[in-house]
Amino acid sequence: MKRLIFLVPVLLVACGPSSGADDTAENGAAGEEILVQAETRLVANPPTYESVPLPEDLEWITNDEDPVFASPDAKRGGTFTTYLTSFPLTLRMHGPDSSSGAFVSMKRANYLSLIDIHPNTLNIIPSLATHWAFDDDKKTVYYRLDSRVRWSDGEPVTADDYVFQRDFRRSDFVLDPFGQNYYTNIIADVRKHDDYTISVVHAAGKPGNELLLETAISPSPRHFHKLDENWVQDYSWRVEPNTGAYQISAIEQGRYIEFSRQQDWWGDDLMYYRNRFNPDTVRIDIIRDENVAFEYFLRGELDSYVFGSMPARWYEKAQGPIFDAGYAGKIQYYTDVPQSQRGLWLNMDDPILSDRNVRLAFSHAMNIDRVLTTIFRGDYERMPQQYVGYYWGYTNPDLHYREFDIGMADRYLDQAGWVQRGPDGIRTKNGQRLSLRVTYGTDEHSPWLVVLREEAKKAGIELTLQLLDPSAWGTQVGEKKYQIVMLTFGVNLTPSFWQGYHSDNAHKPQTNNITNTDDPEIDALIDQYEAATDLDERIRLSHRLQVLIRDTASYVPLWKVPYIRETFWRWLQLPDHLATRTSGEVFDPFGSGLFWIDADIEADTLAAKEEGRTFKPISIVDTTWQVE
Amino acid sequence: MIRLSPQTVRQWQRFRSIRRGYYSLVALIGLLIIAGVAEIVVNSRALIVRYEGTYFFPTYGAYLPGRTFGLDYSYETNYRELKAVFEAQREEAASRGGPDPGNWLLMPLIPFNPYETDFREDAFPPYAPDIRSGHYLGTDITGRDIFARLVYGFRLAIAFAIILLACNYIIGIAIGCAMGFLGGAFDLFFQRLIEIWSNVPFLYVIMIVASVIVPSFWALVAVMVIFGWMGMTWYMRTSTYKEKAREYVTAARALGGSNLRIVFRHILPNTVSIIVTFIPFSVAAGVTALTALDYLGFGLPPPTPSWGELLAQGTANLQSPWIVTSVVTAMTIVLLMVAYIGEAIREAFDPKKFAYYE
Repeated sequence: MKRLIFLVPVLLVACGPSSGADDTAENGAAGEEILVQAETRLVANPPTYESVPLPEDLEWITNDEDPVFASPDAKRGGTFTTYLTSFPLTLRMHGPDSSSGAFVSMKRANYLSLIDIHPNTLNIIPSLATHWAFDDDKKTVYYRLDSRVRWSDGEPVTADDYVFQRDFRRSDFVLDPFGQNYYTNIIADVRKHDDYTISVVHAAGKPGNELLLETAISPSPRHFHKLDENWVQDYSWRVEPNTGAYQISAIEQGRYIEFSRQQDWWGDDLMYYRNRFNPDTVRIDIIRDENVAFEYFLRGELDSYVFGSMPARWYEKAQGPIFDAGYAGKIQYYTDVPQSQRGLWLNMDDPILSDRNVRLAFSHAMNIDRVLTTIFRGDYERMPQQYVGYYWGYTNPDLHYREFDIGMADRYLDQAGWVQRGPDGIRTKNGQRLSLRVTYGTDEHSPWLVVLREEAKKAGIELTLQLLDPSAWGTQVGEKKYQIVMLTFGVNLTPSFWQGYHSDNAHKPQTNNITNTDDPEIDALIDQYEAATDLDERIRLSHRLQVLIRDTASYVPLWKVPYIRETFWRWLQLPDHLATRTSGEVFDPFGSGLFWIDADIEADTLAAKEEGRTFKPISIVDTTWQVE
Repeated sequence: MIRLSPQTVRQWQRFRSIRRGYYSLVALIGLLIIAGVAEIVVNSRALIVRYEGTYFFPTYGAYLPGRTFGLDYSYETNYRELKAVFEAQREEAASRGGPDPGNWLLMPLIPFNPYETDFREDAFPPYAPDIRSGHYLGTDITGRDIFARLVYGFRLAIAFAIILLACNYIIGIAIGCAMGFLGGAFDLFFQRLIEIWSNVPFLYVIMIVASVIVPSFWALVAVMVIFGWMGMTWYMRTSTYKEKAREYVTAARALGGSNLRIVFRHILPNTVSIIVTFIPFSVAAGVTALTALDYLGFGLPPPTPSWGELLAQGTANLQSPWIVTSVVTAMTIVLLMVAYIGEAIREAFDPKKFAYYE
């Protein structure tokens, strides 16, 4: 019994806010357990590919006319510290476990592609390629590569690395069905014309900008990847050479990941990359609890803090002495981007949820409005449907969410045969209770799910809440072992239906068809949509598909958050326009990389804090890009 | 007919004479009784409803849909609203000068269950303690009544602790006693096994279990038993060894007593004081263990009422101090009472009468 008594203090101490950072800092300084191997030239004879002739009289296009969006005042240097709530399961870019968790966007951001999109004008701008040209077949795009581009280990990036990417992503050794499909059915071929000219062939063809975006592949370092059956295991913790401004320089398993700025980065003098990616070091601590992370921010150990959800936090936590004294500031920045698909997704392979009436009833039994007006203080808007805010008219404006309506829910459940009610008021059918499990990955969702659970009882539906560790949640999503999952899908500029709704991806693990939609009519329309190269035709198909997908009732739209809210220490400096129309975070070291750390202000702020000197409080609300 | 041995009577008298231990026991038993019938004290279901001449007792048993009482829905009646409806009916009848419809209902002392969210129009949760709304200890961040969650959380934690204790003791006493009594290879084998088993990092196992499945009440009990039975074995082994060598055991053996008889009739009764003195501390450990696991998020899944979950909410929302204050106070009181009882039992069973524990 002594054991149990003893256990408790250990448990509480282990999770206390004071333990993590101190230990981490110590270990880091001592240079222990750092697991980054320098060797990247792992393949003796990297593959080279045959050149094919380049067509004559191509019309090469570039873009050096759009305004730059970084500030000329930016200063290089300093360490930016941020956090993740769970340690990544792998460092690989591809293969099992490589596409879930917040770390993914960090590694992808340093893995540039041929072209980029201007964050304000949404025009195409150069990145790894300086010029591009369209073929008359509306499927092939030619790219002229920037010969200055280097891998982070100093090797030049050449056409061979792009052709290798095709073979690499198609390989069975990578265990990545999505990539395999993309590099077979979306990208039909990648061809080398000379060392610095390639062409990418799209399988179906697309309207102009979309064709560019879909063919803008990234290269893979062919001198690094030794493809064999051990690849997934061997490369899990190797640091792959990349093309971005930062590369992983130190890792301690479970504790932190540190990125260092390439001192002589190839992009530093290029128009759209100049004055960006300013901190010398970006350190990502693993802090497993959001509240603890915020305490770290308050102590100045994190430079900024993003208020992802829970407005109560913003109102009640983002205030206090450090804000009143102006040491730290608040910013609310409206953006104009396609809205993430935040929702409850119903697995139609589940025996109970395979009945459309049950799904319809479920949609009507979700009292999201009550959540929005209470827990979220009326700060968020309900998503009208799954596809919101896409550019070029892809969003169907006529669709609306299903209202909370117990009468409707009752009617659908009666039709579905869930007529009896048990002693607790939960409906039953043939002795089975109408109990549905909602799987989710962070405790932040518990408060509002609890409200939905209570409201759903009125319709005779029991929700059981399955809160999992983020990694375990990711695995369950991958394996589709859920009845209902709370999940937010990041989105592209235009809808992509194939991955989420084509039967090709149904009933198998590791695909994005998380509802297991398997409907011939939807399949046919998706095939037409994927094949269409005419913008109007694609928009028409897109609208029709959105109607059909809504009709499956396999998705309950939650809410949209059309702004970013962050708190930051005042030494983080921003350009005059603060952020961009499409910013994901204001203080985003890898994506837009616009901010910089002013060492003088940092020293001054810390001194002022010591002396009790104060500054003008900083509270910014920027509505430049607010959509009415 | 149970006849208490003179020694037991003396011990009981001794225990009663230690005031704070005795009163703690009385109070704790009182709390356990209240927790046992919590549905009568803290519940959103009415105790008695009189509707159109019929009496209803909704507390236990199946739910009663709103239509039972003339409301327009078929889900569970909201009795607080029903009360308002009845009152409105009475007033309306009075204003018309008609007869009183005679409908009334009696709500429990705390008219909330631990799951329901009670929102107000004019403010956002968590709501501060307020007599008028009936939330005497306020609500948590989703508008659930803290008092209700404390009471039901207490019931769960105590049940957990007692079941855990029973399982641990049965296994621990059986194995420990066997080790001491049989000795030899059996003893050696279990000694080594327990040493190895004690070094399995218990917390990691819990974390792994919690990440793979949503731990249910029984799953948690099982994991805690698997890693908690060893504690009792050492004490039992030692005292069995000691008792085994006493003359009365030799005498019993000479009279032809079987091993089982010797263990159950002679050795176990003489080690009971060891077991009894450990019980209160084991209960305290069980309660704190569940609370700690819930606090860390490896315990029972939401929305189970739990002290650990309240503690986590409270520490995360220190700007709403009533959450953390309530749960910390409740926990301190209960653990203190258990500690006082334990102290008194230990003293009552102490053969040296004039030792002082202060």
